[in-house]
This record gives sequence, C-alpha cells and structure tokens, in this order.
Amino acid sequence: MTETRFTFDGQPVAARPGQSLAAALTEAGHRAFRRTAKDAHRGMFCGMGVCQDCLVTVDGVPNRRACMTKAETGQRVETQAAFPRLDANAVLPDPTPARIVSPDVLVIGGGAGGLSAAIAARSAGADVLVIDERRVGGGQYYKQAAGGAPLDAQQAEGAALLEAAQASGAEILGGVEIWGAFDGPLFLAEVDGAALIARPKTVIVATGAYERPAMVPGWTLPGVMTTGAAQTLWRSYRTLPGRRVVVCGSGPLNLQVALELAEGGAEVALVAEAAPSPFGRPLRAARMAAADPGLTLKGLSMIRGLRRRGISVRNATRLVSVEEADGALRARFAAPGGQEMAVETDVLCMNTGFEPQNEILRLLGAGMRYDAAFAQLRCIRSHGMETTVPGVFAVGDCAGLGGAPAARIEGRIAGRVAAARTGHGDGYDLFGDQRELARHRRFQRHLWHLHDIEPRPLDDPATLICRCEEITLGEALAGYEENPGHVGTLKRGTRIGMGRCQGRYCGPAAARLIAAANGEAMNDRSFFAPRVPIKPVSIAAILAAQDALDADG
Amino acid sequence: MQTGDVLVIGGGVIGLVAAMELAEAGARVTVVDAGENAGSTANAGSLHVQMQSRFIRLFPDLAPNVEAALPLYRQAARLWADLEARLGPCDLVRKGGLMLAEGAAQMAFLEAKAKREAAKGLDVEMLDRAALDRIAPWVGPQIVGAELCRDEGKLNPLLANSKLIARCAALGVVRVTDRIAQLEAGREGVTATGERGVYRAAEAVVAAAWGSGDVVRGLGLSLPTRAEPLHMNITEASAYEVQHLVQHAERSITLKQFRTGQIVIGGGWPATDRGPRTVPAVRAESLLGNVALAARLVPAIGRLRVIRTWAGMNTTADGASIIGRLPDAPRVTMAVPGDAGYTLGPLVAGMAAALVLGRTPPADPAPFAPSRFATLSA
Repeated sequence: MTETRFTFDGQPVAARPGQSLAAALTEAGHRAFRRTAKDAHRGMFCGMGVCQDCLVTVDGVPNRRACMTKAETGQRVETQAAFPRLDANAVLPDPTPARIVSPDVLVIGGGAGGLSAAIAARSAGADVLVIDERRVGGGQYYKQAAGGAPLDAQQAEGAALLEAAQASGAEILGGVEIWGAFDGPLFLAEVDGAALIARPKTVIVATGAYERPAMVPGWTLPGVMTTGAAQTLWRSYRTLPGRRVVVCGSGPLNLQVALELAEGGAEVALVAEAAPSPFGRPLRAARMAAADPGLTLKGLSMIRGLRRRGISVRNATRLVSVEEADGALRARFAAPGGQEMAVETDVLCMNTGFEPQNEILRLLGAGMRYDAAFAQLRCIRSHGMETTVPGVFAVGDCAGLGGAPAARIEGRIAGRVAAARTGHGDGYDLFGDQRELARHRRFQRHLWHLHDIEPRPLDDPATLICRCEEITLGEALAGYEENPGHVGTLKRGTRIGMGRCQGRYCGPAAARLIAAANGEAMNDRSFFAPRVPIKPVSIAAILAAQDALDADG
Repeated sequence: MQTGDVLVIGGGVIGLVAAMELAEAGARVTVVDAGENAGSTANAGSLHVQMQSRFIRLFPDLAPNVEAALPLYRQAARLWADLEARLGPCDLVRKGGLMLAEGAAQMAFLEAKAKREAAKGLDVEMLDRAALDRIAPWVGPQIVGAELCRDEGKLNPLLANSKLIARCAALGVVRVTDRIAQLEAGREGVTATGERGVYRAAEAVVAAAWGSGDVVRGLGLSLPTRAEPLHMNITEASAYEVQHLVQHAERSITLKQFRTGQIVIGGGWPATDRGPRTVPAVRAESLLGNVALAARLVPAIGRLRVIRTWAGMNTTADGASIIGRLPDAPRVTMAVPGDAGYTLGPLVAGMAAALVLGRTPPADPAPFAPSRFATLSA
C-alpha cells in the first residue's frame, strides 16, 4: 500500500493507511495541535472524540478532531487557532441527500454491548441498524486495528464479534456522529456531512464510557493523555504515544496498557496505582478470583508481565502535578509516608476510573440513581434492560460501569427483549443470562474494591477544572462563594462546562464540588442538565437535517 | 424573619437592579429568588430597541402598545450603558442592530417601519447593499439591504448578572433562595410566604417576571403575565467580526457575536415549558429551523459548530410593562417588563425603585400602571 502524505503547518507528514491524523502527527513527534483562548497548547487527550482538545484545521475547515479524522493524502492540516476567521465569501454546501430510517431496533454504539444486542435482536428476526461514531466497530474494549491482523486474543474476540454481527444481517454503519436525541424518540446524526435521521421503534443505547482523569495542575499539557487514548494509538494504529511513558491512576486498564506499550517497544518508566497492593488484601482478591477465575488470572499475568520486564508498579502512589521540562514532562507523585518523587517522561497516561456516556439516556429522560461506590450515575433498568422510558434500553457501561463481559450479556438480553417488543421472538428464557450477569457484576464489585477510583476532593486552586473554558478550581470556588446555588448557577457564573466538551470532564467534578459545599447527597440533578447537541455539530449537518425533515414533512 | 425595609421578589436583572438602587439609597433589602429556571439567567444578551417582526406577527393586537413604548426601549438601552459604567465591563457593544431584507417587498416594509420608529425618536437609517457591505460583508448574497437602528446593542448577560450579584452583595443586600407562594399586604407591611420561610418587610417589589401574576393573585388584581419559552443556540468561538445585532425583516432570528467569539443564535423560536421546577425542553424543529435560517442569512458561520442549545423564558403580558403600586395594596410595587425583559430591565427596575423611594422615576410610569388590569372579584 502506498504511504499517505499530508502537511502539518506546511511540514510534510507521512502516515500509514487508516491512521488517524492524531496518530500520524504523534508518530511524527507533534504533540501540540491547537492553541487555546488563553494561548495554551493542547494536544490529544481522550483519543475518542470526547474532549475536543485535539482540534486542527483541515483544508481550511476549522475545529476538526484529529483523533476522529482519517489521514488522507494531500490534506493541509494546520494548528487550530483559538479564533478562526469567518469567511465573508463562504458559500453553504449543497445538502447531501439525507437518509431517514425507522428500524425495529436502533443500536447506538458498536462495542461489546451494542454488537451483542444487534446479533440477538437480528437473530430474533428484527430489523436492526447499529451506528457507531468510529469508522471501525468494536468499541473501546475490543479496539479494532485500522488494518492488519489482530494483535492478541482480546482483539481477535472483538473481530469475531464484529464478524458475527455483520453475518447476522444487522446493518452496521460507522462514522456516524449522533448529535440530537429528542422525545419520540427522534435521533439526528451526521455521516460525512450528510444527515441521518432515525425514528426507531425501539432503541438500545450502548454508548459505553469515557475515562475519568486525575485533575492535577498540568493535566491539560500536550503529552498528558488518557490511558485509553494511548491504547488506541497502539492497538488501532500501531503508534507508540512516545518513547518514554508513565502510567498512573487506578484500575486494570492501566496495567494492561503499560504492558502493551512495553511490548510495543516503549520504555515504561513507572506505573503508579493509587490503591494499595492487592496482595495485602487476600480475602477481597480471593472473592474476585471466585467470581471469575479466568479474568483474575489475566490480571495476575499482567502484573507478572510487567515485573518480568522490570517495570516498576508502585502501589498507593498518586499523581500530584505535571509540568513541562525540556521538551518532555515532569510528573510528580506522592508515595506512602509523605514521600514525593518526580519522573521525567514523554507521555503521561492517566485513568482513574470511568464516566458513563449517558447523555442520550438523560436527554430522553431515563431515570438515574447515584452509585456512590463508583461515583457515577446508574441508569434504572428492568431485568430486560429497559429504562424508565418505554422502548429505550441501555446496555453496558453507559448505564454505569460493568465491564465488557457484562455488557455482552446485557446486550444479548436487551436485543431479545427489544426484538420481542417489535413482534419478533418472545424475549423469554433470560434466566441463564441473568445468572451469568450476576456473576460478572460480583467480579466487577470485588475488582474495583481492589482499586481506588473514589475521586479525591481537589485541593490545589491552580488546577484547571474546566479544560475547555480554562477555569481553575480557585475560580470555581470564588464563583460559588459569590453566588451559591446548584451546578447550573456555577456554570453560568463561571463558564464551567460551557465549552466544546460540554462538561464531560468538569461536570462530574463540579457536581461533587457543589454537593460537598451545599452538604447535599449526589443525585441525577447534581449534574449539568442534559442538552443537545450531544456533541458539537457542524452547521452544515444541521442544514442537511433540516432539508431532509422539511422534505419528509 | 424580619427582612427589613424592602423585600424584592425575583432575583433576575430587574430584581437585582431594583435591589441595588434601593440599597444605594440606604434601604435594607432582601431579594428572594426561586433559583431555578428563569429568564435573566438564560438570556442571550440582545439589547432590543426597534420593533421586532416576531412580536408584530405573533401579537398583532399588542403591536400598538409596543410602538408606544419605543422611546422606553431606547432609554433602556442607554441605561444599560450607564449601568455598565457603574458595574464594570459586561461586554456591552452599542454599534446598533441590523434588520436584513431579502427583496424589495421587505425593504419597503422596513422603510415604512423605520419612518414610524424615527417619529418615535429612534436613530434609524436604511442601508442598501453597498452600504451594508461596508459594515457587514458577511451577510448572504440574497440580502438586498437593511434597516440599521443605532440604538440597539448587545452584552454578555452572564457577566452582567455576576456583576449585579457582586454589587448587591457589596451593598449588603441579602439574597435568599426560596419560591414565594403567597404575598399578603397590610397596613404595617408585607408578608411573603415561601416554601422555606416567611419574609416580612415594610414594602415589596414584585419582579418575578411571568410568575408575578401568581405572586400577587391575592392582592386584588389579575395580571396576565405569561411565560414564553424560547430557544437559543451558541457556536464555538471565531474571530470577533460580527459587531451588530442581526435580525430579519420577516423571520424570527437574532444573531450576534459575543466579544469572546461565540455566535449566539436565537430570536423567538419556541421551546416546551415543562413547569417551574425544570428547564424548558429544546425542540428539534426549533434548533434546525433557527440555525439553518441563521446560516442562510450569514453563510460565513457555516463552518462553525453549534456547541450548546438551551431555552429560557421571555415574559409578556399585554405588550406593555407593568410598573407601579397595586391600587388595593400600595405597599406592593410591580416591576414587570412588557417584552424583551433584559433590555428593559434596568429601566423598569429604576422606575419601580424610584416609586418605592418617593423619587421622580427615570420615565413616566403612568402608562404602565397595574390599575389598567381587571380587578379580581373577591
């Protein structure tokens, strides 16, 4: 295959076929992609289209996410300025014909849960459409490669699931950005500038989760990214995030990615895990092993693999701050006994748990309850995975963290129940699945008890709490002091949550801040009110949708 | 709870400015606000002066009231400049508002409107396309001209709200979060009963926007205040190039750019009221129709993305403001805007505060007296 070539600020950059712009730029040694309103540099952070920090201008079109845009030969890619010029001679694009669909079952999200749901619903005879934001399905757990053979068993398992979903006869549509969800339900989405309008009979929301960061001074510097972002670079694009890597936070993903990057040739200088060693808590570990011996062994083998490579895994060690140091980063950690340590690295990966991508569910009015153990909202569901809104189902991590194996079972259940709702199959015989689901949930509970994902109260007033609007903790606290109220009051008073990521990172932090200040328990209303668009939407896509709906009556 | 000299019900722009003026005059003031879905906190920052086509179309029978009030709007926009000078920067820009015309018929409509407005003292001028290109080259090729109303402008309401809150706090105004269910007035003073407390004061100013009619229901008058839930959109930031408030001769649209670069699109597209305890719901057809119209009028925004939509409440009654003491309860002074409440806010508040203080109001309140509404039979 021929090499892809594009330019970045006039400099030639080579890419392999299928690579994202973010991956190609990273491989070429570029870390900073955009400048903020306060003239700070930003680069790739989430790697999955959530944070809106890897924006670049592509062929004159501003604010394209480098992580979600495929590198193509001839592209003119430029550093994104904070304030791109309006083009007085601009001509609106001719609307591309829209597609209007009303499947029996619309599955939103093509990961473990969504694909399983599609297979189950299609097997029962329902007509199924799966839409996914990424061009290649599989979701964040199975992370499929943009090209080439599967890297390992996990990727092969995902490839098999994707193949089974395709073979089932369900239609799978990639590169679909769903931006509007309204009562009905009515969904508005963008596919390569064209509109997709869906009025499904039932919908299964399987939008997964995104990563909870460690908010410390410096967490927005280019080179600091989520562990999942680094994993996507490697697993999907065979790109190492940097030569020298530090991984921090808590949870099994950090261990796995540290090992993967080390196997890929990176020097992993440190893995800092916030929780104490699991070997010091044998009872909890034994309970986890009893719930799922296979997954427990997988975890143990990761730890062994890291040790074999001489990679230091430090328990009870937390990130304190990050700063720039001679073209690299210096990450400071607090270790047990008040000990401090500093590590220099090209890339700092962080994951301190996950936040459910529940925006669509909340917009449709699905009931939620707060789960203090995971510090997140859980969607209230029936045994058939139906939410409190009839015909709207939720599976996998978007309904509250549960892991990929549980998501697959939930998908199987929801797929059958949703199909039955549209007159296909009977939706019965869920008992076996329910029992297996209970076992996976038990495993998850014990697993996360061995880690430490409880968000710490923020203490350094210089910490940016809102990446997009560049609002610090100190400014947030001052805003609360001036005008106490709920989280919406704080948003309007300080601009926290008003930026492009729509409060996905600052939102949970602000909700906790307000609840603590007001002495209230967390609940659904602690968080920002859900709003459309679900993701920033191009005005061109709005024009296309409006044309189509006008024509449709 | 003895709350002092004046109880202000409603902590939006009118309540806060009224509280500020009263406190500056030495009164002890308490502001009670429900702290939930509202008008001022959802406002998009247009300073409206010229007659809006939306209002003329939606409420044709009320248009004469709006026309009569035009000098009031002009004065209100000027008062905003004075207020900004007192509060500190609120990103207020008074370059004027453009009402765009597509075709000769719309130009003729605007010309007739401009004449009526000029007769009421507004600073208006008709621009042909060449003149328009000198100040707004970013409008679409189908635009043949525009009416420019130099009295109009824009500001960032989030900044203005924050500054007002800070100013009130500095003056010792007490702010309480509560929803007032009932207001009683006697010889000695007023008593407001909320969900969390009871508030007593010598006098009350009712600045509860569309909820004002309910607050004073027990005081002898039926005030037809109603909420009009309206849709708004905002884009990501671009370079600051749209200095004017942009409207259209026939269609519902306002478009403006904040000094921080974001473009706000609104202009009266409907949202769905879901009651006082939650924010109004955004409608797909409003989002699509409003943004598509904006992009057709100003194609230069076509490459930006919309990052947020929301809805807030406009307040209307009979098209004119309701300002003045209640005839049967003179300790209660109304401060309710007729339309475009954020624009009128400082003026309506200033008039109500002056009445409470026994000073000469900045404009004659007689046409806005609550006594014009029907008396409730006991």
